Amino acid sequence: MALSTHTTPSGFLLPSIHSAPPFFTEQPNQNTQAHLTEQWIRLILTYARHKRLFVLRVDDAEVPGGDWDEILRNERINRRIPPSYLSSLMASMIAKNLAVYEPSKQTRAVLLYWRLPEEWADVLHSWATATGQLNTILTFYEISDPPIPSPLSGIPIPLLRRAITILSRSNRAQIIGVADGEGVRFFIG
Amino acid sequence: MALRRYTASIDGTIPVPALLYDDEELLASQDGVGIYDGLQKAPDFQTGSVHVSTHRLFFVHSQNPTSHSFTMGLLHVVRTNYYAGLFKSAPKVSLFLDADTALPLTTTSGQRTEIFESWECEVCSHRNPPGLSPAAARICALCGVPRSASAGSATSEASSQIQSLFSSLPESSHTSLSSSSSPGPPSPPSTNDDSDGIACPACTFLNHPSLRVCEICTTPLPNVEHAGSMRAKSAPSTRPVSPVGGSIDPANLLIKLSFRKGGDKPFYNLLRRALRSQAWEGKRIGHSARSGTSSFAITSPNYGPTPVAMRPSGIDGIMRNVEASAHVTQTDLNDALKDLEGLMMKAKDLVHLAGELNEKLTASSTTTTTSSPSTPGTQLSSLFSTTTLVPSTEPEEAKFIRSSLAQLGLQMSNAPVTLDMIRDERRWIEELARELARVLQGSPDDIPGQKSVGVMKERGIVGLDEVWGGWNRARGVALIPPSTFLQVLPHLPAYTSPPIRSRVFKSGLSVLHMPPYTHASFTARIVGYLTMSGMMTTSQIAHEENITIGLADEMVAAIEADGVICRDDERSAIKGGGSGTASEVRWSRNLFLEYIWDGQL
Repeated sequence: MALSTHTTPSGFLLPSIHSAPPFFTEQPNQNTQAHLTEQWIRLILTYARHKRLFVLRVDDAEVPGGDWDEILRNERINRRIPPSYLSSLMASMIAKNLAVYEPSKQTRAVLLYWRLPEEWADVLHSWATATGQLNTILTFYEISDPPIPSPLSGIPIPLLRRAITILSRSNRAQIIGVADGEGVRFFIG
Repeated sequence: MALRRYTASIDGTIPVPALLYDDEELLASQDGVGIYDGLQKAPDFQTGSVHVSTHRLFFVHSQNPTSHSFTMGLLHVVRTNYYAGLFKSAPKVSLFLDADTALPLTTTSGQRTEIFESWECEVCSHRNPPGLSPAAARICALCGVPRSASAGSATSEASSQIQSLFSSLPESSHTSLSSSSSPGPPSPPSTNDDSDGIACPACTFLNHPSLRVCEICTTPLPNVEHAGSMRAKSAPSTRPVSPVGGSIDPANLLIKLSFRKGGDKPFYNLLRRALRSQAWEGKRIGHSARSGTSSFAITSPNYGPTPVAMRPSGIDGIMRNVEASAHVTQTDLNDALKDLEGLMMKAKDLVHLAGELNEKLTASSTTTTTSSPSTPGTQLSSLFSTTTLVPSTEPEEAKFIRSSLAQLGLQMSNAPVTLDMIRDERRWIEELARELARVLQGSPDDIPGQKSVGVMKERGIVGLDEVWGGWNRARGVALIPPSTFLQVLPHLPAYTSPPIRSRVFKSGLSVLHMPPYTHASFTARIVGYLTMSGMMTTSQIAHEENITIGLADEMVAAIEADGVICRDDERSAIKGGGSGTASEVRWSRNLFLEYIWDGQL
């Protein structure tokens, strides 16, 4: 059968297997399923980077109309990913350290690492260096919602804190308590 | 003196259990016992064994069992005494005897065998078997009606005995007995006219003494006048005995059992229990003065009517009888089951024995085979010549023994089965395989135009259960057990063309199939279908392959386990599809194994 790639309205190029109905069914054969999981994780992370999405929820598979509809559903072949399947995909992503449950102690939502915290730390430090904000105290809010759009715009606070923690370990940043919460000061590293 | 008056000699060569009545039970036996007659040792009865039953005491002399053995009814014993023994004096049990129940000295042996004949009850026509104790034999075993007093002398004998007993009884028991007894024969002749009437033996109605048949049921009544006259005649034979303290010295009215080899205590306990239970009263069937005595010496065992209230009669009696026989059956059954259990305990020994036998056979056959090649030319000892003579017959015998053992299920798992047996077994299995092949594919030597169709028919695959059922239906007799059937299956490909093989699916489903239905060829075919049509459901595959859906499901599942195909569940549909069981899985080739990412990087 002829499967073809498809470009979504948001400009994302869907892979050809996304139009194969078995792609949306969890396979009992573990070997087959391993391949399938790999493709799904790649699809999810690629799409998350494309749309700058940080959080994936099981609800996204249950309720249509979310940010993830373009990959979790395929109206052309009348298929969608069942929530249980998405849940097991999330579990394997966490096993591969490509996501963490956020908040922890639940399994309904994950924080996606389409960049690993270490990568985010480098991005954060180079942004601070590029914008000349070394040795300046910045609030988390100023980083995640800067007046000028940056690679860090919209980054979730938990992910940001992780990145800063990695930086502070190599003495390139320091977390400081400020009046309305927490702040951070970057150093030349 | 006491010995002579109370005992009857028996033939001690007969085993004691054979001397017992049917309703009598042996309780205990003890050898090394001597008898004291009164206070002196009885010289003729010093070494022997003594047995106690529910009814009687037996003494069997160890040297002269024929002449110096005797039996004595426990009935005579009024009191017992136990002496534990001191130094050289052995433990003794004294039995004090009732002076009034002594056997008459003038015993005649005229009717001694009468009681041991079977007789027919005149009321219910039940044929009563011989062998019961005198008390029990006097009444019908089925309906409880006493045997009619046909022998007049017997009745008189009995009544005189009862009369003498009454005279010696305490007043209270005398009145209770006489009130409950029928006022017919047992009552003395002087009171005969004053009595209320004659109790009917069948319905217990008290008839007027002058009636010959019962007013109610017309059963013939006991002949009172006749019995009375006879009693008068025979009375003198026992009268001299009955006066208290008559000719016999009370000191002599005891015998002692001297236990020279111990065993006194348990024996004494059982003896006392027997005395307490008073089984000689015939399970409360009736009271008899002499029922304990042996049949070999007594004049007549037939007695007059017994107290009515004490015997079961009519429906009640029958019911009780049925209950009793059911109980006996139950007991027998329990015994039999116990025996069976015992046998099972022995089974291990049996198996062990079989193993040894097998080893010996194997050993002997190896020695003979090693010795036989040396037979020609060499000088053989006599030993070898004998062993070389044996081998010609040995294998046959060995084979026979081993096949017998195998049939008994005693085949050793460790001991090797002989070549003979294997050859037999193999030929048997091969024959079966050939037959099964005919059943499956039809016999090839049929008339060409009339090709017979086997179970397989045009199908290429068929369930094992269907084959087994079909085969046994075809055989009709000597059905094949499933275990043998499974043994035959590996041989099947050799006798079928194209070869039919068996296959067991993951779920446990077993099938026989033709070559096109092997896993590999089926997989290839399914992949071909899927390549052409893209997706197929299980039922479509079943339709295409002309097999049942269940079977198709099993086979497809096996292919899926290989990862060649993958499934598309309707439950993943956005619209329709529905939830749960109504949706069907659609199969497609597994595209993901060799997939290369072609989406956005």
